[in-house]
Amino acid sequence: MKFCKLFLVALTGAVFFVSCNSDDDNAPELPLGAYDNGFLVLNQGNFGSSNSNVSYISNDFATHQNGIFNIVNPTITMGDTGQDIGFNEDLAFIVLNVSNSIQVVNRYTFEHVATINAGLSNPRYIAFANGKGYVTNWGNATVATDDFVAVLDLASYAVTATIPVVEGPERIIEANNILYVAHHGGYGYGNSVSVISTSSNTVTSTIQVADVPNSLDVEDGFLYVLCGGKEAWTNDETTGALYQINLNGNHATTYNFPTGNHPANLVIEDNKIYYTVDSDIFMKTINAELPTQPLFSTTAQGVYGVYSFAVENNKIYVGDAGDYNSNGKVYVYSMTGSMQNQFTVGVIPAGIYFND
Amino acid sequence: MTFKKLSLVSVLFVCQFALAQNDSIRTLEVVEISDVQLKNYSNSQSVQKLNDSIINKNQSSLTSLLNYNTVIYFKENGLGMVSSPSFRGTTAQQTAVIWNGININSQLNGQTDFNTLTTRNFDNITVRAGGGSSIYGSSAIGGSIHLNNNLSFRNHFDNQVRLSYGSFNTFGGHYKIDVSDGKFAVQASISRNSSDNDYDYLDTDKKNENGQFYNTSINVVAGYKLNDSNILKIYSQVFDSERHFSGSLGFVSKTKYQDVNTRNMLEWTGLYSKFTSKFKVAFISENYKYFEDAEGTFFTHGKTESAIAKYDLAFNLNEEISVNSIFEYNRTKGFGSDIQEEVREIGSGTLLFKLLVSDAFLYELSVRKELTNNYKSPVLFSLGTNLKVTSFYNLKFNASRNFRIPTFNDLYWRGSGNPELNPETSYQAEIGNDFTFENFTFSATGYYIKIDNMLRWSPESGSLWTPNNVAKVKTYGVEGYLNWNKNFGKNNFDFNASYAYTISNDEKLDKRLIYVPYHKLTSSASYSFGDFTAYYQYLFNGEVFTSSDNAYTLDGYSVSNIGINYTFFKSVDIGFEALNIYNENYQSTLNRPLPGRNFNMNLTFKF
Repeated sequence: MKFCKLFLVALTGAVFFVSCNSDDDNAPELPLGAYDNGFLVLNQGNFGSSNSNVSYISNDFATHQNGIFNIVNPTITMGDTGQDIGFNEDLAFIVLNVSNSIQVVNRYTFEHVATINAGLSNPRYIAFANGKGYVTNWGNATVATDDFVAVLDLASYAVTATIPVVEGPERIIEANNILYVAHHGGYGYGNSVSVISTSSNTVTSTIQVADVPNSLDVEDGFLYVLCGGKEAWTNDETTGALYQINLNGNHATTYNFPTGNHPANLVIEDNKIYYTVDSDIFMKTINAELPTQPLFSTTAQGVYGVYSFAVENNKIYVGDAGDYNSNGKVYVYSMTGSMQNQFTVGVIPAGIYFND
Repeated sequence: MTFKKLSLVSVLFVCQFALAQNDSIRTLEVVEISDVQLKNYSNSQSVQKLNDSIINKNQSSLTSLLNYNTVIYFKENGLGMVSSPSFRGTTAQQTAVIWNGININSQLNGQTDFNTLTTRNFDNITVRAGGGSSIYGSSAIGGSIHLNNNLSFRNHFDNQVRLSYGSFNTFGGHYKIDVSDGKFAVQASISRNSSDNDYDYLDTDKKNENGQFYNTSINVVAGYKLNDSNILKIYSQVFDSERHFSGSLGFVSKTKYQDVNTRNMLEWTGLYSKFTSKFKVAFISENYKYFEDAEGTFFTHGKTESAIAKYDLAFNLNEEISVNSIFEYNRTKGFGSDIQEEVREIGSGTLLFKLLVSDAFLYELSVRKELTNNYKSPVLFSLGTNLKVTSFYNLKFNASRNFRIPTFNDLYWRGSGNPELNPETSYQAEIGNDFTFENFTFSATGYYIKIDNMLRWSPESGSLWTPNNVAKVKTYGVEGYLNWNKNFGKNNFDFNASYAYTISNDEKLDKRLIYVPYHKLTSSASYSFGDFTAYYQYLFNGEVFTSSDNAYTLDGYSVSNIGINYTFFKSVDIGFEALNIYNENYQSTLNRPLPGRNFNMNLTFKF
């Protein structure tokens, strides 16, 4: 009877597909054991997909492993939309924006230590001062008045206090036990830096800057603030600016960018200031005027917007998010811009952190 | 519900052209249904009709019905959440949903969320595979899903109440009245579905938090026979829903989403010897509100309102030659928090022609051209044949050009929309083989689709994302349907299966499209003895890629459901169902688990 045959075909077909599907998994990768003497790449993953993860690449570029959080901690989902990694002593704190959580791991073995789930709302970046962790939070992105900096007890891994700040606190940096918080803006556009005393956990002053302060660094007694300005598509384009602010006073030197230039990714290394504009890498000597020509461009690698950026060990590191759905790349350049190494990392490499 | 009825409706392939030659049936169809082309000009493609008995045996979402009974692949962001189809390896915007002959895909995002349609509001749901843009307009590339209400003018008065309750506090209520005195006919129904939807994520200590939803829909179809040749009808539907959007394995969500969709259509049918004329005026609106914080008051929103006028004139010269012309004018206004307020006007003319060369051979042809200043509009066509090779074997061929027009979001999203976009266009061809034996039908269709000018959103400079007509996709595959049913005395057996093998390739990347499985298989077996029925459903979805570089995959899965029904006194039906009986831990979208084993019971009264 024909039907019987077809029925069998259908059934065996089903079994075949199921078995096909289950036997193509490769042997699981093993933890390297030590993730030091190299750098971590935080792969943000896709909003809502909970596919954020971390890649490790050794300083000699000989060792490279993706998905290290999952490899070391296979039963734990790291989280959704990795935003920042901060190091404190032996621990790494991985801030997960959409998960409203922080995964605490041993920075060298990557073994899970704790998960902070309470007290965070749209967390962004983390810094450490005075024996505490400080995490910027947007709160509800559509509410301008609920933004805060969470104070993290590093013994109990609990949020013990909150410091209300103006809208859109983003990057945070510590200098002399004082915190500087750049208000990049949540739904809107920020234009200030909050100064927070870690002894009183209050905002003690505010520094007005240009629109969209997107990166901060501290070097030799100066705070540097890079503002991108509003982009043309906002229909209210403003120019970018770089501020050099004396930590002992508020005297600021301002370098204004030409219209249409929207700089980002400020890094100061060996008395040089590095930043990016679209696909181009710029280098400015401290106290010199802004360069008009880039140090080099990443367009040959097809980077159309530097997503993450670092300068370390006489090399320049560029994270490229590609199509934001596929695995991204990290390119390593010499200080003059010749491409020396490239690595395929996870989805949307959002930050590069040296783990020495 | 008797098994005979069941077996009748479960015949998957309608032998259309035998019907097309029968004039009295044709007239009846014209009176009862609005989407006449679905019957008259779909002879060269694969058409699968799901009638009310199949609809009643499945869960109430259109996702569930089509997932378990057709070759269409679905991904859901958690049970009841946003649901997107992939038909023949195409994108969610390349499947059209046609409500009583009117295309209702969202003007904002171009697709239909298949969890915002309640199947019990319709008398039948028909899946028409392959190109249909020359008749139905935008998005009919992978195929089209037709939601039909049949208004019957035979003298009758029927009521039906259906109640269901199950795991996760899931409630379904449906009432329908269907009445006619021969001159005046009304069919009205109201449906309500709700669920706490707080199922456990298997093998974890997490559950599906913030996934609760409800929806209410009201459906009214009314007709009045002015005289023997003029009929007025009104079709009206309101759908109102609120879904909290659930999170995933990696986060707990606090968002919610509200949809209010209305569809209204007035239709005047005139039957004049060789001519049939239908004049339709429709008003369709969609409205969403998205709350990033479900407890808060702030929301973003979008709304479109479409006014449609359509004139459809069919001319049957004789039994062999049919000609049909359709003129349509569509004016859509879109507005919202994230798009610029814009109005789009589209006029179109369609000409259809069918010739029965002999009892064994027909061909059909359709051509459509749209006029709009919104985009460059290609000439769309479809050409098909149907050859009865032997008494049990039909050979079909169809080739067509189809399109998917850019949406309001693509064109007018504040800051990043691209008003210069053109439609995605396709050339496609298919060959279908239908075998019909006494208790058994089988069909196998091979197809090939080449899609150009696919829209992709990508970052241009800095953080600005914008869409462009950049991608090319080739998709091809085979799909098969099988039905067998047999009676042994009071014992009745029915078996259905569908299988699709799909290759969908991004030509630029030379990678597979994400969320398109190579294999999909469904089957269902049902046995009834007198008033007792038992059934088993099986679904297999193969592994899919979740990233465009094909670096990440999501495992395939198999889900099985069982159900039993008993009918008392021909009017009270009680049923139990166990879903996902093997407690499969599965996801159709990355890191968004679907429920494990769960149960529900239902009670239906007919009077």
